[in-house]
Amino acid sequence: MNSGRDLHLVGLSHKSAPVAVREKVALGGDDLKEALTGLAARPGVGEVMVVSTCNRVECYVYGESLEEARHFFLSRTGEAEGHLYERSGREAVRHLFRVAASLDSMVVGEPQILGQVKEAYGMAASAETAGTFVSRLCNRAFATAKRVRSETEIARGAGSVSQVAVELVEKIFGNLENRAVLLVGAGKMGALSAKALRELGADRILVTNRSPERAAALAAEIGAAAEPWDTLNSLLTLADVVIVSTGAPTYVITRELAAQVMKARRGRSICFIDLAVPRNVDPACGEQDNVYAYDIDDLQRVVSQTHAARAEEAIRAEAIVEAEVMAFAQERETRAALPVLAELRRHAEQIARAEAERTLAHLGGKLDEKGRKSVEAMAHAIVNKLLHGPTARLKEAAASGDSDLPGAAAELFGVGENENPRARSRPESDSGAAAHPESHR
Amino acid sequence: MSLLVLRFAAFFYAGAVTAYVLYFARPRHQALATVGQWLLAVAFLVQAAAIGLGCKEYGGAEFFGLRGGLVFMTWLAAGASLVVQRLYRIPAVGAFVTPLILVVLLPTLFLVKPDFPEVLPDAVRRPMLTVHIVTALLGVALFAMASLVAVMYLLQEREVKGKRFGALFSRLPSLNALDQLNQRLVRVGFVVYTVALLTGSGMAKVVWKSAWQWDPQQVSSLVIWMLYAAMVQLRHTGWHGRRFALLTIAAFGLVLGSMVTLNVLPAGFTRHAGDFSGARK
Repeated sequence: MNSGRDLHLVGLSHKSAPVAVREKVALGGDDLKEALTGLAARPGVGEVMVVSTCNRVECYVYGESLEEARHFFLSRTGEAEGHLYERSGREAVRHLFRVAASLDSMVVGEPQILGQVKEAYGMAASAETAGTFVSRLCNRAFATAKRVRSETEIARGAGSVSQVAVELVEKIFGNLENRAVLLVGAGKMGALSAKALRELGADRILVTNRSPERAAALAAEIGAAAEPWDTLNSLLTLADVVIVSTGAPTYVITRELAAQVMKARRGRSICFIDLAVPRNVDPACGEQDNVYAYDIDDLQRVVSQTHAARAEEAIRAEAIVEAEVMAFAQERETRAALPVLAELRRHAEQIARAEAERTLAHLGGKLDEKGRKSVEAMAHAIVNKLLHGPTARLKEAAASGDSDLPGAAAELFGVGENENPRARSRPESDSGAAAHPESHR
Repeated sequence: MSLLVLRFAAFFYAGAVTAYVLYFARPRHQALATVGQWLLAVAFLVQAAAIGLGCKEYGGAEFFGLRGGLVFMTWLAAGASLVVQRLYRIPAVGAFVTPLILVVLLPTLFLVKPDFPEVLPDAVRRPMLTVHIVTALLGVALFAMASLVAVMYLLQEREVKGKRFGALFSRLPSLNALDQLNQRLVRVGFVVYTVALLTGSGMAKVVWKSAWQWDPQQVSSLVIWMLYAAMVQLRHTGWHGRRFALLTIAAFGLVLGSMVTLNVLPAGFTRHAGDFSGARK
């Protein structure tokens, strides 16, 4: 761009680095705040933001080079070398927009990432390492994400197995208030789904496992109650959603057991979600009234349908991102041209004022107050008339993305390059540029 | 005059149907459901005006014929579905109920030949008769809505059990919500219908000097009442979901069947002209 500073990004994500490396660089809370202020204090760095989630760590620097951002990673672990990707300028802007719009996520269209980027921005803002550039950038990124969500169907459908499970349960039971979820077996997937169901309002999660120690451990981990294995029948009478993921090689929930349970439940609906391979729930269970049984393949099929649909939507989403990146760049160039204008005007007005004062001094006391005023007004009017055309043309050129003209104008009039607008005590231009001059220099 | 206003009401019903159906097709546009509900409310009020004018014109006799009965029943159904929307907020139900209301109302807009007795016997001109007619029609309207909700349940169950999570899956409400709504409609309908049955036999006592006559209409009404009573009872013994939905539909089939047969049989209508509404209980 037309100034020494630009946006630079160095990062690693689920696409470029294994979790072993990601977890070494990931950071949050006070550590992150400290790192932000540390980075911002380094030479050549204007503004900093770090996005750190379990799938990615990305350091955005608005400054002179991306070396400082690289340094941030390499100082955390040498292993990061070789896993980093680097982007600058428009590429970096596009990357952030794609991340916020969930186009770069492991599960494209997943909704959490936007919140995480917002959090990252909030962190940078509170550490005072995010200035006007990063604020403007992030606002645009959030707006882009919102557009993508509302104008495409990228976030529709369930993107993961546990999301599918949640959606199914929702369609069977509505909300899960006052309902119990039972985990049979202490598998990891089951725990994940149980957590998702808790978000839906299930206020009671029960865990049972053949080995009581593992049940107790998992229960403690997810805030559930461990129950002994031999009470399985009565637990099944109690729970409405049963997530099964044991290592057993046969059906744990047989057709007979399900029939027996349904009798005890007096026909109340029950939903079995079988995440185990080999399967633990006899698929014939689902043939009974008010018994719903799904295995991992059923859920996986929905997930792959969703992914196929999302891949199509992603094409439309990319177009939106592209348009927003262009708009952002254009807006930036418009703003970049404005300081030259402000400078030009300031310079011209200074001359006009000096000349008016000289004339008035020359005339001495021959003029009354009214006469003085009209001389000043005339000088001012000449400046306005002279600058009217160039001002309009400069604004136009900037808006159309032409960055040569502002530079040429600065050179022609001998303003801008060697003067620092920050030194000005007060903004004199009628344009808004003087309000945030530091972001353009 | 009342017919003109009624046609005006039908216009609003058509608007409500359009809004609800569009909402069902594009559930992301929540506003459509709100528009549908407002149009339904307006239609309900306009139809109320039409009914009021009709009473003035025909002295209430209109509602003893089939046409008047249908007009009155659609009005009650619209009112009931407004209440349901208010209580349960399941706009998808509107996409099923409003089209039915419109379909039932349409013939009444064009079949204007009076099908009701010119003069009502004084014996039946009692408040009890009004209560009887209103409750009978409201009961039938509630049973009709329950069976529509049961149809929605079966459609959704097919999606959920068939593991086919298509368009209906995302648009229809949860099975639990539909099952609950069905059950409540049946329960309220049963209470209302009970009142209709009691006032009906009260009227029979006035007209025939005996509360029970082995009249085909009385018999079928009693059978229907017992069926719904059994449904309310079965609910407590584990009849949920699919079976209950099927039963709701079957029971309403019986209601519909008895309405049609008894109206077609001249004996049912002419013999005791005036003591029962054309639309029957």
